[in-house]
Amino acid sequence: MIELENLTKAYGNTVAVRDLNLRIEAGELFAFLGPNGAGKTTTIKLMCGLLFPTRGTIRIGGFDLRTHGEQARQTISYVPDQPFLYEKLTGREVLQFVADMYRMPQDRSRTRIDEMIELFSLGKFVDDLTERYSHGMRQRTVFAAALLHEPRVLIVDEPTVGLDPRSIRLLKDLLRKESERGVTVFLSTHSLDIAEELADRIGVIANGTLIGCGDLASLGVQAAMDGSLEEVFLKLTEEEVPQEA
Amino acid sequence: MTSSALFRNLRLTIFRNSLHVLRERSLIRVITIVVCSLIVWGMLFGVSYRGFWELQFRTNWQLPLDGKIMEIVFDFMFLVLTFLLVFSTAIILYSSLFGSAESWFLLSAPVPDDHVFAYKFQGAVAFSSWGFILLASPILIAFGLQIDRGAGAPYYFYLALPLFFLGFVLLPGSIGAVITLLLVNIVPKHRKQILALLIVLIVVSMGWLLVQSIQQANQNLFGTREWFENALGEISTVRDRIMPVHWISRGLRAAAIGDVPKMTYNLVLIWSNGLLLYLGAVWVARRLYRRGFNRVATGGTLRRRYGGSWLDHVLDRVLFFLNPQTRLLIVKDFRTFRRDPAQWLQVLIFMGLGFFYFSTMRRFYERDIGRPFQNGISLLTVTATAFLMCAYNGRFIFPLLSLEGRKFWILGLLPLDRERLLWGKFFFSATGSVFLAESLVVFSDLMLLIPWQIILIHAVTVAILALGLSGLSVGLGACMPNFRETDPSKIAVGFGGTLNLIAGLMFLIVVITLMAAPSHYLLATQGMEGLIPWWLWAMHGLGLFVGVLAILLPLRAGVRNLRAMEF
Repeated sequence: MIELENLTKAYGNTVAVRDLNLRIEAGELFAFLGPNGAGKTTTIKLMCGLLFPTRGTIRIGGFDLRTHGEQARQTISYVPDQPFLYEKLTGREVLQFVADMYRMPQDRSRTRIDEMIELFSLGKFVDDLTERYSHGMRQRTVFAAALLHEPRVLIVDEPTVGLDPRSIRLLKDLLRKESERGVTVFLSTHSLDIAEELADRIGVIANGTLIGCGDLASLGVQAAMDGSLEEVFLKLTEEEVPQEA
Repeated sequence: MTSSALFRNLRLTIFRNSLHVLRERSLIRVITIVVCSLIVWGMLFGVSYRGFWELQFRTNWQLPLDGKIMEIVFDFMFLVLTFLLVFSTAIILYSSLFGSAESWFLLSAPVPDDHVFAYKFQGAVAFSSWGFILLASPILIAFGLQIDRGAGAPYYFYLALPLFFLGFVLLPGSIGAVITLLLVNIVPKHRKQILALLIVLIVVSMGWLLVQSIQQANQNLFGTREWFENALGEISTVRDRIMPVHWISRGLRAAAIGDVPKMTYNLVLIWSNGLLLYLGAVWVARRLYRRGFNRVATGGTLRRRYGGSWLDHVLDRVLFFLNPQTRLLIVKDFRTFRRDPAQWLQVLIFMGLGFFYFSTMRRFYERDIGRPFQNGISLLTVTATAFLMCAYNGRFIFPLLSLEGRKFWILGLLPLDRERLLWGKFFFSATGSVFLAESLVVFSDLMLLIPWQIILIHAVTVAILALGLSGLSVGLGACMPNFRETDPSKIAVGFGGTLNLIAGLMFLIVVITLMAAPSHYLLATQGMEGLIPWWLWAMHGLGLFVGVLAILLPLRAGVRNLRAMEF
């Protein structure tokens, strides 16, 4: 469902992502880990077509992002680390706008909006302007909008920042359920326990290079040690130094 | 639903909700905006109406408004407005297309790039051209009422006005959009150099205009046949039949004199070319918008190093008399300001237009307009500069403290008296305001050959205004901060910003009434020879007192509020 081939992205002289090769199947929940500035967000922005690769290709749902960007983006939902909401729209109007943007039929969009309001417990505030929402309310609205059109690929960047334990639990259950429904979930996070609990496979990136990929056992083999994900992650990333192009 | 319908719905819903919020929470703001707009509109209409009457009926002019000369004047006016629209659309579009969170959101969705561009373009053109409509419509309506020695234009002249405007704004808007897209795509790594080049070009143009004005003033040619032929030569390119500026002035003149075929021809010409240029801009956007977006996001190095600038050092030296901590705070605010081209370009354009206006004002002076009118123009320039200062302080200075926003705790924890923080912002504002406003007013007075006594009075008045408006903006900014908002323009138009604007307007009216207006009255009635009467001294003393109050009272209230603030 997601195919990255020799993906490289440079900002001037600094290489943010270097020769990244990755294939993620439908229904897989893939966790993407890495220290700050490792290249996680750049990779995600490349996968959404917001940035162009310096080298390499990206295919989403079989569509090459460079040549069939619109079709590829039709299959994706992207939840950024700092999500955007129209301040002067109500939550319901935001959901309707997203449904229209993905060209959902009116009947279907109405049903799905009601389902999302129910699923994310938006009922109490969905008709208020989003400028009055707290961080948790915003995050729930953004996830409702992201899942509204039933995407085949869900790309999520640091979704748990600022959420309370109950919302984090809700989010974890949701991501797992979506993955079981056949949605490909690409989850970038700093939270090792969430990655360990949810992911089918984990990729570790440091200084733009994928230094480890697989389940916890195979990551342990790559790190030549047996331990928790935290220990394996620290071992894998400890010797990485910044590189210049 | 098509993308255009989607974005139309979005805009309408946002507009409806914003209106609802404004009605509920900021009724004062709406009333203030409407009243201020009406005042500006009314003043422009009054001056234009009287001006057109003077042109037709004064014995030494007797200028027919339906003649070629008025067409040339309109050519010139629309040329200036075209430049204004090209620049402002380009700046607004740059921020809107490449710097907004909404763009990141829309570009990650399955919406064609050119549709996103079209949506942003419409917003930018609407935003940049409301001023154009506010400035041009009273002049043209006054023209329509006065034409044919007061008989007035046919009704369809007034109906055609909005059609001409709407068609015309597409032309400079599309040019501004294409310039932005090309600049971003062709020179992402050298944007600074291009900006510097543009600034040099603007400065050189201003210099050229200045030299021209001085030469003309020395030769005393104004109003002669030779001057008129020179002027025609200078703008002959603009008057070419392929120039859109000429289409609108020719079309409006035709409408005013009842020449329907010529009016329709020019209207169709404007719309067809406007739409063609718009399509061209959309075509360019389809190919270059996303590419440009990528280049803006990744054009430089990932972590750019910013260093100090000689400008920071100059400012630091200029403010040598202040406490080092206060100087640090001022330099920090200045550094933030100069690193945001969207901010300082607005000031630059305002200043450029001001200089342009004042340098050309010389041409209308002395020879053919009555003495009271000349005197009035001089007072008007001081008032216009005061309005500019009021707008500048409201837009850039009032939001300064609010913009500390979530970082306010850093300042709050510093071993620094919070009072000093406010004084730092006051001096930052006062230095900029005094420098900009004094240069504008003194330059304008020199151009108008105003007596030195009046120049001195203007300089003092403007200094009091600059200091008072700075005190008001900084003090009220600290009394009513909005730490949740990150966009300075939204802070400026919020409730506190509006209140600050009203206070500023009242202050400037009082100061001008007390300080500048009496001197002009004296000049008009008995000239500036002889002793200055006691009442003039008294009014100046009163103006000075009001100025001191405008600095101290808001700043004291601001300091009190800041000291009590939790963070």
